[in-house]
Amino acid sequence: MFGAFLYLTACSFKNRMRRRLRRLREPRYLIGLLVGVAYFYFFLFRPRNAAERAGRRMQGLTRLLAPLHVIGAVVLFGIAAFAWLFPGAGTPIAFSRPEVQFLFTAPVTRRQLLHYKLIRSQLGMLLSTALITLLVRPGTFGAGWTFMAGLWLVFMVVRLHLMGVALSRSSLAQHGVSALWHQGIPIAVVLGATGMLADTLLTDWPVVMALPDVSSVFAHLEHLSTSGAAGVILWPFRALADLPLAASAGAFWAALPPVLILIVLNYVWVLRSDASFEEAAAAQAEKNAREKGAPRPSGAKVTATPFRLQPEGPVEIAILWKNLILLGRFLSLKVLLRLIPLVVVLAIAARGSDRAGGLTAVLAAMCIPLAAMFSLMGPQMMRNDLRQDLGNMALLKSWPVSGAAIIRGEVLAPAIFVSVLVGLFILTGTLLGAEVFNRIGESAASLAARLSYAAGAGILAVAFILAQTVILNAIAVLFPAWSAVGSSRSRGIDAMGQRLLMMAGILLTLVVALLPGAAVAAVLVLSVYWLTGTILVVLPALLVTGVVIVECWVVTELVGRAFDRTDVTAIEPVE
Amino acid sequence: MIDVQNLTKVYGSFRAVDDFSFRVSPGEVVGLIGPNGAGKTTTLRCLVGIQAPTSGTVTIGGRNIVTDAIAAKQQLAFMADEPQLFDYLTVMEHLRLTGRLYKVTDVDARAKPLLEELELTEKAQALPSELSRGMKQKVAIACGLLHEPQAMLFDEPLTGLDPLGIRRMKETIVARGRAGAAVIVSSHLLHLVEEICTRVIIIDRGRKIADGTLAELKARPELAAAGSSLEAIFLTATAREQ
Repeated sequence: MFGAFLYLTACSFKNRMRRRLRRLREPRYLIGLLVGVAYFYFFLFRPRNAAERAGRRMQGLTRLLAPLHVIGAVVLFGIAAFAWLFPGAGTPIAFSRPEVQFLFTAPVTRRQLLHYKLIRSQLGMLLSTALITLLVRPGTFGAGWTFMAGLWLVFMVVRLHLMGVALSRSSLAQHGVSALWHQGIPIAVVLGATGMLADTLLTDWPVVMALPDVSSVFAHLEHLSTSGAAGVILWPFRALADLPLAASAGAFWAALPPVLILIVLNYVWVLRSDASFEEAAAAQAEKNAREKGAPRPSGAKVTATPFRLQPEGPVEIAILWKNLILLGRFLSLKVLLRLIPLVVVLAIAARGSDRAGGLTAVLAAMCIPLAAMFSLMGPQMMRNDLRQDLGNMALLKSWPVSGAAIIRGEVLAPAIFVSVLVGLFILTGTLLGAEVFNRIGESAASLAARLSYAAGAGILAVAFILAQTVILNAIAVLFPAWSAVGSSRSRGIDAMGQRLLMMAGILLTLVVALLPGAAVAAVLVLSVYWLTGTILVVLPALLVTGVVIVECWVVTELVGRAFDRTDVTAIEPVE
Repeated sequence: MIDVQNLTKVYGSFRAVDDFSFRVSPGEVVGLIGPNGAGKTTTLRCLVGIQAPTSGTVTIGGRNIVTDAIAAKQQLAFMADEPQLFDYLTVMEHLRLTGRLYKVTDVDARAKPLLEELELTEKAQALPSELSRGMKQKVAIACGLLHEPQAMLFDEPLTGLDPLGIRRMKETIVARGRAGAAVIVSSHLLHLVEEICTRVIIIDRGRKIADGTLAELKARPELAAAGSSLEAIFLTATAREQ
């Protein structure tokens, strides 16, 4: 059976590579590959800079090494603790639909299925570790292989442990109260360990805060993590973190035995689990297959529509209505919670850059980068438009509606949503940011002046966002194979090259789109300033946005014709 | 109503549909049958404008599906074998969206009897994820029928339906034909085609190999020996080709 699994893994890998090679016959993939290879060459392998870069990286790595041991151990502890305390709603081990179809119905034991998943996961881990090693780029081959091998073994332990935790939790669900008692012990241990670590840190917190610099802080944390109760708790995690960070081959071999013991222990634990995962895995595979290629809001509830759709009126509004419904039903508390780390990071950064101000200054300082970020990234992130609907191309093309109207309707929802979001950030930043504006000058700090700047920025943001959304949707029509269908993405160096090319193309097109309006606005601003000494803000912004809107209309008309001619077979299935 | 002249669709060097011509008049229910890969779905997709023909013309109610696509599609409904629904719209919202797209001003008035006919009334506020495969098929068909199209294309319409659903679906298709619509039903279920279709077109390897009523097909000398059932005729006709 092991041979069959190896055969399946090897054939799948071989055929995936073959498919990627075969698609290079298409110029777009070939160009994409060339760009991807060039990217790797110039940023990772370029011989002229190799020694210098490696030296710089190694210096950085050496400087960071001590903190990395501590950080690595704490992160690994966090992963394990999180897995125990917050088990996911999914199945312990994920299988694809064909795997369920072929392997679950075959005379294969549970243990063999587990072995298959372990074999299968090794390939991905090896590729990931190779990529990370390339990016970190240790200076010597020796440092390279110890880092890669160490990281691979760490990944293996993490994978085995997560599998074991998931199977244990599954067993708990299957066996009821007796298992609860049985499983309660490790959960109590994890809780106790977390509490002790927190207690150690909190007890020493005044000492940590009194330390003069970051390196002293890490040195103290290093000491804390190797002594007392924290040292005992973190020992296995430190043992893991030490392996890829070993400074020499000798240190690597010395660090290897505890990691091998951890691998064996976790492996035995996984194999001894009596949890039955097949049924849940089969159900999950069906669900995943259904969800592939579209934003299926798991557990989506029927909520009120954004507005009542009248039976008559422009088709664009009907498509806007449809896409706003998607947004309303897709955006859940869970999605919003994912933004919390970003907000926290921005808050810390804002606090750091604005120590003098109070909470309002911090909020204002946060809003400005958020507005900039969403203006630039929002259209890429909000895909409730044609990019999402490419999977429904056959349905869209059966509608008695012109391609131009479909594209206009599709771009409206993300453009409006992102514009409103950015507008809110700008408004909040303006209202709370009197101190920030004060630094520019007293005249800029008055509410009227601030609102004027905010209006100008908000209006310009609309142009920026609309143009990007139209460009992204135009790419979906003109180069459908370059645009991911639904939520899936093509993989491979050629696909990465395509994305780089696309990003460059988007930025270039954006500049070209903004130039005519900007030129007209510049003439207006300079003329008025020359004549009256007044600097106009809102009117030039309106001019730029007006020109961009006209351009977008023209582009949707042209791209709409291409949409009408597009064949559904041009939409390539994504790997 | 549906007029197909010399339709050809080529993918690279492969001719999926080859010089295919036929007409479907108002009130006719035509069965389009053929082996796997014969070109049935490609033909239907070219008819509905989802795919562009390599050559040939398709007109719906006198409107060319390529050059006058919007007017042609306005008279058309295509019920695909795999129902494509927006996962985040309820059944009723699907109907409202379809109504707006096809300029149906009295959606509510039309939706009620349609939902009743297709036994979807209780599911009007359900999302597709709450529906079975058969129910999704019914929703797609309800959307297709909402604007009372004059030309209808059904691709494997009975897939996923329960026995009662199958009976209702057959009644629905026949009723639309009797009401004057031109209907094409593509299916591998030959007994269904034999039961509800007034005419049969057999396609194989992209080419039309037979066209006529069951009686006309039986009367053809090369098929006369096949027997009286459509299944026997189909097997004989496609075997001759192979």
